[in-house]
Amino acid sequence: MTRSLTRPLIVAGCLVLALTVQPADAKPEVGKPAPDFSVADTTGKTWSLADLAGKGLILEWTNHDCPYVRKHYGSGNMQALQKEARDAGYLWLSVISSAPGKQGHVTPAQADELTKSRGAAPTAVLLDGDGAMGLAYGAKTTPNMFVIDGTGTLVYMGGIDDRPTTDPADVERAENYVRLAMTDLAAGRPVSNPVTRPYGCSVKY
Amino acid sequence: MRHGLVLPLLLLPPLLVWGNPVSTEQVTARLVAERLVVAPGEGAELLLVLDIRPGWHTYWRNPGDSGEPPRIVWELPAGVAAGTLQFPAPELIRVGPLANFGYSNRALHPVSLEIPANWPVGEPIRVRALAHWLVCEEHCIPESAVLDLSLPVADRPGPPDPEVARLFQEAREGLPLRAISDAVLRATPEGARLDVALPASVRRPVVVHFFPSTWGLIEHAAEQPWRLAPDADGGRVQIELTPDAEFESADPGGLLVLRSGDGVSRSYDLNPRRGVEVPPGPETMSSLGLPLALGFAFLGGLILNLMPCVFPVLAIKVLSLAGQGALDLRRRAVHGLSYTAGVLVFFALLGGLLLGLRAGGAALGWGFQLQYPPFVALMAYLFLVLGLALAGALILGARLMGLAGGSQGASQGSSRRPNQGLGAAFAAGALAALVAAPCTAPFMGAALGYAVTLAWPLALAILLTLGLGLAAPFLLLSLWPALAARLPRPGPWMEVLKQLLAFPLFGTAAWLLWVLSVQSGPTGVALVLSGMLLLTFGLWVRERTALAAAPWPWLGTAASVAALAGALWLALLTECPGIETPPNTPGAEWRTEPRPQPDQEPYSAERLAAARAEGRPVLVNMTAAWCITCLVNERVALSSRRVAEQLAAGDVLYLKGDWTNRDPAITDYLAGFGRTGVPIYVLYPRAGEPRVLPQILTPAIVEAAIASLGDPDPGLSRGEIP
Repeated sequence: MTRSLTRPLIVAGCLVLALTVQPADAKPEVGKPAPDFSVADTTGKTWSLADLAGKGLILEWTNHDCPYVRKHYGSGNMQALQKEARDAGYLWLSVISSAPGKQGHVTPAQADELTKSRGAAPTAVLLDGDGAMGLAYGAKTTPNMFVIDGTGTLVYMGGIDDRPTTDPADVERAENYVRLAMTDLAAGRPVSNPVTRPYGCSVKY
Repeated sequence: MRHGLVLPLLLLPPLLVWGNPVSTEQVTARLVAERLVVAPGEGAELLLVLDIRPGWHTYWRNPGDSGEPPRIVWELPAGVAAGTLQFPAPELIRVGPLANFGYSNRALHPVSLEIPANWPVGEPIRVRALAHWLVCEEHCIPESAVLDLSLPVADRPGPPDPEVARLFQEAREGLPLRAISDAVLRATPEGARLDVALPASVRRPVVVHFFPSTWGLIEHAAEQPWRLAPDADGGRVQIELTPDAEFESADPGGLLVLRSGDGVSRSYDLNPRRGVEVPPGPETMSSLGLPLALGFAFLGGLILNLMPCVFPVLAIKVLSLAGQGALDLRRRAVHGLSYTAGVLVFFALLGGLLLGLRAGGAALGWGFQLQYPPFVALMAYLFLVLGLALAGALILGARLMGLAGGSQGASQGSSRRPNQGLGAAFAAGALAALVAAPCTAPFMGAALGYAVTLAWPLALAILLTLGLGLAAPFLLLSLWPALAARLPRPGPWMEVLKQLLAFPLFGTAAWLLWVLSVQSGPTGVALVLSGMLLLTFGLWVRERTALAAAPWPWLGTAASVAALAGALWLALLTECPGIETPPNTPGAEWRTEPRPQPDQEPYSAERLAAARAEGRPVLVNMTAAWCITCLVNERVALSSRRVAEQLAAGDVLYLKGDWTNRDPAITDYLAGFGRTGVPIYVLYPRAGEPRVLPQILTPAIVEAAIASLGDPDPGLSRGEIP
């Protein structure tokens, strides 16, 4: 028997014995190809990583009622970052992974209204109600940021900055990791802080 | 309170309310002092109490996948200083696929205040704490409160305030009892393993959980299967962890929570060190020259022929040699060389594997095959089936029989096929090597310890020489007609001998099952016994149907293949992480026998270092259940009443390490002496260099060694006053 055949058999057997749970997920890793996704945005258009080759991509997990998200939208920090990124040629996808019935779940119309009322500037807002994309990326918090370069390689994952608080005053003092990553990429350097702790509210899968 | 303020405050996050206690929407916060009156120059113990609305929670110092721990910004009079906020052991709060570490219902955070000695008596200390916390149910709310507390100051502290005594008691019970530093965290092919020496008070925990101090070390939400290591004293727990993004660089520290059978949870600060690769050998090893090492390797290989765990295979070889008596020299030579090639190929493969593992950072020892339960199970199957075949219960095809008996098929009179034995001789050679490898004979330890520290071509040369030594006796007997001619002629005695030889094979299978029982507990033994039943039944079906009309032979073969697959599968399940040595089957069974046993403690590097620092002599014994030499030594030499008395009289600390399963701490220790296998016996005098005792012990050797520790202070008695 080959290894590829025996492994699932063993795992299944262990489950049958009800003695363990094997986490069988391939976790996203910086420097490796980013996990693929295929999720519809608020207009019904499906976005997938495979179609976006050649362009830098920023993913932002969000939940409009989360105080940590409100810190960045209320202060205008997130909107400014979105504009900056798109001016630099990045695509910006905001992802909402709240499950139906869970806090933060929105209809396409509500999502568009939020974008408009907050003056946000994402390329699109993806509605990941089944959590498939969030789980593929291991998104844990809102906000949780991912930067993918033009070759589809994940180059940054983690928090938006180094101030894990809800205090809007911290935005000024913070070192913004997404901005740092964009600067490093623009200069042709490897991202200096490629993995940081994401902070915020939990994603409501 | 302060209803008039509520509306404007809601518009002004963060919400700030003054007082003590302060009630927010989800939490009532208080800052209380243990004593109503404090004194200058003394500490004052305070407690931040957060009474949380049911269903909501606040966070531990590492909040887990989301959230934020409470914090306090102090406004204190000059000279008064506050310590850090303390965090009792948290709960694991699962949120879908994520996990948080925090508190439900009530969070208690002790904090100490330092009052300067020159604080004027009679002037109260006004403390203002700006407390921030995040409280979450499904969604999260950041809340804040300004907590004011005035502490009257007298020349001596007042009695504890009975109103809050229970709160303080509860808070302290939740704090870590002490730190455990005898813990190792290392990466494994499956993820990561934390190996912790259990405190003496919680030897049989029923719940074990590790809370990491920092983000990124491990997946917070991953299951943490654990088992008690089958240590002599059941003194270690192994926890399987799932590494996260910063596993390599994050602080490995955290909190270990243990719940014992009485339902009481205790927590311990854990400061594991990271497991390291086998370090490059110290000077003493390099000083062993290559020719000498090769000589030892060859000698070790020769001696392996006589080791107990090679004996069954040796017996098979004798049997097949007898069978070859009828063959001509050329054929015998080819058989001998095939056997040698089998041994060498196996040693080369094993050496490659060992070096690969070394390169991969897994500091594993030579005996690691028998530390892997599925391997033990497979060997037990093999010996059972070979034993059945030898006993005549099964007439296996040439393949298995060949594996067992080398060219034994050649002896079976009319059914003799001259060319058949070559592959079988090769297989018998490989089998002999496979079984021999874990028996770290006295010479093998030194040679292997030397080998793993070398560049790979030299290391392979050592291992191949070892293999050559193992193969040499058989090769010589094959090549040297004079010797071969002295062997008895084939005859009816061979059948008797063959049947007799089944019993060492059954014995080996029984021994392997015992090893497995130590590794995988009753569940593992049950799995393998079921596998054995399945396997023998499948073989019996095949046996019954082999000579019947079509399609019966085909069906019989299919049944036996299915049975084999099932048995293999069951064997692999012995490695399921959940299978553990159950808490209620202590290894103590082996210590309750009425034999004199010296007082012993489980080995840990810390215990050894501590005893050495005290200037106490130490005897270290590294052993394993599958190491026959070790068991014999313990029975014969270390368990004598005289040795026990001597150890007690000389105040010698006896530390015993069990390497039955992979234990990185012991692997490291062995590597320090250039060994990759057990046994090793090291005697540390009160001061000075440790002395390694021989690997085969007699009571006389041990008694002489301990007696040589003799005079408690030999330096002074010789007049060498510093």
